[in-house]
Amino acid sequence: MATISPLIETIDLVKKYGEKLAVDNVSIEVYGGEIFGFLGPNGAGKTTTIKMIVGLLQPSSGMVKVAGHDVQAQPLQAKSASGYVPDTPNLYAKLSGRELLSFVAELYDLDRKQAIRRIDELLRMFDLAEAADDTIDSYSHGMQQKASLAAALMHDPKVLVLDEPTVGLDPKSARLIKDILRQIADRGAAVMLSTHILEIAERMCDRIGIINKGQLVAVGTMQELRNLGQTGEASLEDIFLGLTGGAEAAEIAEILK
Amino acid sequence: MSASLHDSTQMFSAVWKLLRLRGQISFNSFKHAKKSRKFWTLIGWAGLLAFIGIIFWLSFLLLRFLRSPELPQYVGLDVSPFLQAIPTLIFSILFFGIFLTSFGVLLQALYLSGDMDFLLAAPVPIRAVFISKLLQAVLPNFGIAAIFALPVLFGLGISGGYSLAYYPLVVLVMFTLTLAAAGLSALLVMSVVRIFPARRVAEVLGFVGAMASMICSQTGNLSNSLNGSGDPSLAQANELATLVTKLNVPWLPLNWAGRGLTEIGEGRWLAGWLLLALTFGLAAAAFWIALVTAEGWYYSGWARIQVVTNKKKPTRASSSGTNKVSLAATLSQQFLPAPVRGLVKRDFLILTRDLRQVSQLVSPLIFGLLYTFMFFRNGSEPPAGRGEAPDWFMESLGALLVYGNVGMSLFVGWMLLGRLSGTAISREGKNYWLLKASPLRPAHLLAAKFIVAYLPALALGWFFLIGISLLQGISWTGFFYGLLVVAMCLAGMNGILLSLGAAGANFAWEDPRKMNSGNLGCLGTILAGLFLPLSFGLFIGPLWVVAALQIPMFYGYLTGLVLGIALSLVCAWLPLKIVEGRVAKLDEA
Repeated sequence: MATISPLIETIDLVKKYGEKLAVDNVSIEVYGGEIFGFLGPNGAGKTTTIKMIVGLLQPSSGMVKVAGHDVQAQPLQAKSASGYVPDTPNLYAKLSGRELLSFVAELYDLDRKQAIRRIDELLRMFDLAEAADDTIDSYSHGMQQKASLAAALMHDPKVLVLDEPTVGLDPKSARLIKDILRQIADRGAAVMLSTHILEIAERMCDRIGIINKGQLVAVGTMQELRNLGQTGEASLEDIFLGLTGGAEAAEIAEILK
Repeated sequence: MSASLHDSTQMFSAVWKLLRLRGQISFNSFKHAKKSRKFWTLIGWAGLLAFIGIIFWLSFLLLRFLRSPELPQYVGLDVSPFLQAIPTLIFSILFFGIFLTSFGVLLQALYLSGDMDFLLAAPVPIRAVFISKLLQAVLPNFGIAAIFALPVLFGLGISGGYSLAYYPLVVLVMFTLTLAAAGLSALLVMSVVRIFPARRVAEVLGFVGAMASMICSQTGNLSNSLNGSGDPSLAQANELATLVTKLNVPWLPLNWAGRGLTEIGEGRWLAGWLLLALTFGLAAAAFWIALVTAEGWYYSGWARIQVVTNKKKPTRASSSGTNKVSLAATLSQQFLPAPVRGLVKRDFLILTRDLRQVSQLVSPLIFGLLYTFMFFRNGSEPPAGRGEAPDWFMESLGALLVYGNVGMSLFVGWMLLGRLSGTAISREGKNYWLLKASPLRPAHLLAAKFIVAYLPALALGWFFLIGISLLQGISWTGFFYGLLVVAMCLAGMNGILLSLGAAGANFAWEDPRKMNSGNLGCLGTILAGLFLPLSFGLFIGPLWVVAALQIPMFYGYLTGLVLGIALSLVCAWLPLKIVEGRVAKLDEA
């Protein structure tokens, strides 16, 4: 690991919606230089956990630290260090891609000249240069997803959190994003992403956390997860289904064949 | 034949399923709503029934009065041609009203609703989708029309002693004409969408609709102002009756429906059925044409939207402004933090690009111009009224009109603030996550929103103040004092509206016209309404007092400034300070 102290740290994180416990005592550590995959079935609490990490939701109890800053006590410092890509890229439809990035640069108080350079660099990198002056309502879903990622990278964050980043992307764009995330991690940033595509998690992620019914049921490298279930050469899919109770469903599907 | 019957059965079965689904969604929305909402919904329905009953009763009384044989003897008016033309008048209004108002609703239902992917991917006949969407779209409009039209038509029947067949036929004719009008409107929608992107059409329509409704709503005021008197005379009533009877022409298809019903009501069955058969035949033909055309056009139009969405628009001439350095930009860089600057710039860009929002901003300008015109047309004098108001009231009103320039400027500024300030935070909508995830201080967000609402309102207020002052020939002292009064009052009002709008911010909206800031936003409007006369009074009151006491005016201005500015600044700052903590927690379930 590149750094000793984690760049993302959740300590006994709890989120309740009324009586419903959405996230139950989740403690995760993500270090600089690693890509952390956050997996779980639908409604397991992935997005809620992610939203608490980036400061969109307040935890019911527990603590989140980003780059050493308590997200509740020092939100501005924590948010300055993080970038976030949501699962649905809701962006200002009537701004152009360039205007969006320029706006984000001002939100993060970036140096003007540096921002202009960075905007051009990101637009080229994400293949958005041609559409840079078109308004976002003319962008396809994939282009909006890439614009959203470009916005998250404007301030070169130490921590990047992505919720389902490859949904709706073509193979070329998905590959581009995977490569970019690897580069960002290699430069020392902590990358945390949630995904349902287990192949992506298995290939890309250095460590994986699996959440089920709000509880973190497993965390570790692929090898550590295999050791945990004593499943030898099992795939991530087998491990995931074993831990989240999907194995029975798979067996039923097999019988139905 | 049997294949065709099977197709029809399948289509009507699908229409029924789709309509039942819509009904179930409405029922579930009610079932799962909060108790208070359920209560008010039921109260609303009860009120509506009472309203229908009242309209029916009033119509019945009025029509019985108009039918009384003594009426022509006393007033010399023969109203029977007018009474005969009532059904035609109502059906004409219904037909053209449904045709025009359905356009926007059908555009939304046929092309912009979120369930189209699901419906078109399912094995549901396209005709069934079209019919169910059409019915969903026009039934509310039909319901509203029926609330006003049925009591009048039923009242006409009862007062005229019409036969029983008249009543169900009235409903049937209304429904048939509604379907025909909606079918033609749908044809128009489908034609327009083949040429222009549906979303752009919706934006333009929103703008045009808002402008048209505002102009229509103010036409009466302007007309009264131009005519000098709003009292309807017998001659005007006569003119109206003559105009209505002109609709009673044999070649007008809408007249066939009205006359057919009257003939049936009065027992002339053959002529009545013939006219109604013509009406039903024509309406069915219009609907059938729409249905057949829809089969081809609807799908291709809808499919085109998917392409248009992804189509590149012509590149804008570097509108980013990243390379332009204007005086305003230089000044803002000196005095405003970067996030505030960014927010202000972005808000102005979005406001001017979204036509649906532009319509909300243009309306205060039109209202202002209209009321200014009326203000000057009345000679800047208080209205004479009926001479019942006490002298002291009329004198005070006259004195107040000396500051009519300030009052008018505050009025237009208030209208613009109402649109920009109260919904300033809600306007972020589903994009709010971007601000919330960024290191943006709540104070910076509020400051930016304050500026975005305040500057246009101030500019508009001052524009009117300068214009009216020039026309009135106000003294320089009064003019500059007025500038300050407008600036301060609008600042205070902005603070109140913005803070309460922020506290009750609503981010879950699709159509900007539907964004609101809930009960707190309403409270803000009420408080701002109370603040305005109070603040205006503090500025202007001392001037009257010193004039009455014959003290030099300087002291009046000084006292007014101290009191007015103090209240305005407190109202501009304190409410925002109070809600700052709440803003940090917005959009958290």
